[in-house]
Amino acid sequence: MSAPSRTGEFARLPLHVFLLIYVVVTLYPLLWVFTIGFSGQQGLMIVDIPANPTFLDRLRAIMPWPAHFSFSNFTSVFTEQPFARWLLNSVIVSAATTVLGVFLACTAAYAFSRFRFPGRRAGLMSFLVSQMFPGTLMLIPLYIIIVQWLGLGSNFIGLILIYSITGIPFCVWMLKGYFDTIPRELEESALMDGASTATIFYRIVLPLAKPAVAVTALFSFMTAWNEFIQAATFMDKVNMYTAPVGLRFFVGGFSQQWGYFAAGAIVTAIPIVALFLFLQKYLVSGLTAGAVKG
Amino acid sequence: MSQKPSHRRRFAAGLVAALVVGVGLSHWTLVRARVQENRARAERVALVSLNALVDLVERAGGVGDSVRRAVAAFARENGSLTAIRVVAFDGLSLEASTASADGGDKAAPRRLAREEKPLYDQGQRLRAAVETNRQEGAARKEEIEIAPSASGGLALAAPLEKDGAVVGLVAVETTPLPSPPRTSWLAPLAAALIPALAFLVLAVPIAERRWVLAVVAAALLLGTMVAYGRYAFATIAGDRRVTERTVAGEVTAEAARASSVASELSLGDPRTLHPGSWDADRFRRPLEMIAPDGTVHEAKLAESLAGAAARTRQVFGALTVLALAVLAFVGFGSATRLGATLRKHRQAYTYTFPALFGMLLLVFLPFLYGAVLSFSDMSLYTSQAPIGDLFSKLWVGLKNFTDILGDFHVATSTAAGLVWNYQNIYWTLGITIIWTVANVAYGVGMGLFLALILNTKGLLARPIYRVIFILPWAMPNYITALIWKGMFHQQFGVFNQIIQMFGGTPVSWFEKTSTSLFACIATNAWLSVPFMMVISLGALQSISADLYEAARVDGATRWQQFRSITLPSLKPALVPAVILSVIWTFNMFNIIYLVSAGEPGHSTEILITQAYKFAFEQYRYGYAAAYSMVIFAILLAYGVWQNKVTKATEGI
Repeated sequence: MSAPSRTGEFARLPLHVFLLIYVVVTLYPLLWVFTIGFSGQQGLMIVDIPANPTFLDRLRAIMPWPAHFSFSNFTSVFTEQPFARWLLNSVIVSAATTVLGVFLACTAAYAFSRFRFPGRRAGLMSFLVSQMFPGTLMLIPLYIIIVQWLGLGSNFIGLILIYSITGIPFCVWMLKGYFDTIPRELEESALMDGASTATIFYRIVLPLAKPAVAVTALFSFMTAWNEFIQAATFMDKVNMYTAPVGLRFFVGGFSQQWGYFAAGAIVTAIPIVALFLFLQKYLVSGLTAGAVKG
Repeated sequence: MSQKPSHRRRFAAGLVAALVVGVGLSHWTLVRARVQENRARAERVALVSLNALVDLVERAGGVGDSVRRAVAAFARENGSLTAIRVVAFDGLSLEASTASADGGDKAAPRRLAREEKPLYDQGQRLRAAVETNRQEGAARKEEIEIAPSASGGLALAAPLEKDGAVVGLVAVETTPLPSPPRTSWLAPLAAALIPALAFLVLAVPIAERRWVLAVVAAALLLGTMVAYGRYAFATIAGDRRVTERTVAGEVTAEAARASSVASELSLGDPRTLHPGSWDADRFRRPLEMIAPDGTVHEAKLAESLAGAAARTRQVFGALTVLALAVLAFVGFGSATRLGATLRKHRQAYTYTFPALFGMLLLVFLPFLYGAVLSFSDMSLYTSQAPIGDLFSKLWVGLKNFTDILGDFHVATSTAAGLVWNYQNIYWTLGITIIWTVANVAYGVGMGLFLALILNTKGLLARPIYRVIFILPWAMPNYITALIWKGMFHQQFGVFNQIIQMFGGTPVSWFEKTSTSLFACIATNAWLSVPFMMVISLGALQSISADLYEAARVDGATRWQQFRSITLPSLKPALVPAVILSVIWTFNMFNIIYLVSAGEPGHSTEILITQAYKFAFEQYRYGYAAAYSMVIFAILLAYGVWQNKVTKATEGI
């Protein structure tokens, strides 16, 4: 907390020790996956352990540093496995989901925040309740609607629709909270100047809500990029797999290609982690604006 | 609206709308039923021909010149089959063919060409179907395949048997289907116009008495629907009679042709042909609608008509209810009011429409469908059944729910101690609660703790810590799950290396419930910290420093400041976050599914993964839907309770 500054950094040593321990806890699994990915092998062992291992041999075996550096897992995953295709599928689906999801959530959230109309409360509450629908309940009916009624099995459009629409409730709630904090006076004065509602929405509200829109886009993208159960259900052709389905393909069932998995996981995770870290400055304001107002 | 609305005009409009909906949909149903009947008739006629042909080919021994002669003679006699092909599995040979493509150097007999593999595969499918049905003693797989042919007719294929084994197939195509009978549009037009005009006349003396208008309009609508229903059923019954007569005629004609071919080629005694079994369904079960002498079994026909009548009543009953709803909706002014509301709040509804429409189609509709499913016993075998069956044949009422909730065999006591029943919902619920509480508690505790530390003013390397601690949230959670699964590997996993480093024995993490659950919780706890940390950090930063200043002036201790300033300021941000994360964790599918997969023996399953296994490993769709509804009910109850306690949704 806001301790007076006479206590120097030295007095905070216990804090740093604790934080560093937690840094190790946080980073270890990530370093581990890097180690396996760059090991050039499919196994889970970082190094081979001799028959009668000493304490140091064991210690070496848990150090997240590969015995030999090799890019072979990365090259094979792209040349021998159709991973590039899966990654491309994921990019297409996630990008389209982001665009559609942000559009749907922004328009709806703006109406819920600015207009008072019959059905508003019911709509918001139903969005909230829909968050509690168990995914397993929806999967079979969704399959019937998407594949049998709309004929969108193994099709990008089906997956994009599902992702962008199931993400709406969370995004709408978050955006509405943020829109609520934007003073109405701005819009009212624009209205006096003769601006239409659409102009106000696009020219005034959206630019002001940039942090929340950025977070909405991030979450829409992450939903599509990270989801695998529905993707596995609706994409039954191997060349239509998305990256998560493909990664699970490497280490699911009897398959134990941990090297391919690790290499693929690194390639898949880097863009999303980078995006996340890039947008994280918006995270706090975007997420909590609605809630913090009390 | 300054003018007082006219009830008469509203009910007139309501009646017209209801008639258009009611009669229109009824007419559409009737036309569809007639098209279906027409197709069913063509199928049965084609099946009679095909079965007669198969009967002859089997008599001719299935292979050789006698088969070719029999097929040629049959094709000469029966002009409705355009391309007859007989395939024998033995030697992959095309034994006989009347198809125009199989002339010249491609004439039968010859080996099947590579591009004719689909024909061979079809034969193998039929063989498998026949064998499956015989083994199971049931009719589950269709033994005759019927599909539309390229020329607008039907393409049929039947298995060819010899001594009780399937040795080949007979495939035929028919001439294009007869076009369905035209259904006059005069009847529906009259059915819509007459009651509408009658209402206009009757409404004059009634004037503006609202309820009388309603009753008259409803009576007219009801009368119309009943009359139109009778007309529709009479039409359907007429079609059905035509079908039976046509099929009976076909059986007689086919029997005469077959016996003449049989005696001409001396294929045994023509009297041993059994035309009675030719009129059969796709499982080759005789329908027995036609008596051996070629007349229609009247009792059987009456039975089938009674079934059709019941279905017609069901459909028309539903349509009548719909039409009455339309009438009431327009007549009592709800439609006008709805229109006025929509116009008044046009902007709001335009902005929300895309999202709401999508939600209705892909969230609420599937939910409703799932809710209906939970009252049925739909499974993999019945998954192709039409929606109507969910309410009739497959409907089991509350059985799924009583099976799930009424099963209290959580454990049995044996000599070796308690044996838990891991499939029991109360066991799984217990695991789910432990899972949720442990994860949320750790997430909130550690998240808040880290946030408090990171909120220290002037802490060295604060942004670096922050970025590192956020990483688990940024990582895709299925990757995290698979990484941790690897780290908990019994032989090669890192955790067992550490244990061995200190001289311990390696743990088989996924062979005991407690360690298996621990592995899952450790994984999820790791990734649930950042969310809470970010939320807490945001809330902490929004607390004004003046508050602490004032508290210090008043001589409050650090602890008192935390209790009376920090915690209350965190509450508005933390409470919704906790509610959300309880719901998310409760339904967190990926971690359990990927890390422990429920091992050992489904004991570490949480409710949502268990429901998934019921649906996609046991294929009990109805049961799984009911199970999911129970999950939903639990969460809803939790949400309502939380809302009461915290008033989180007040003032939206």
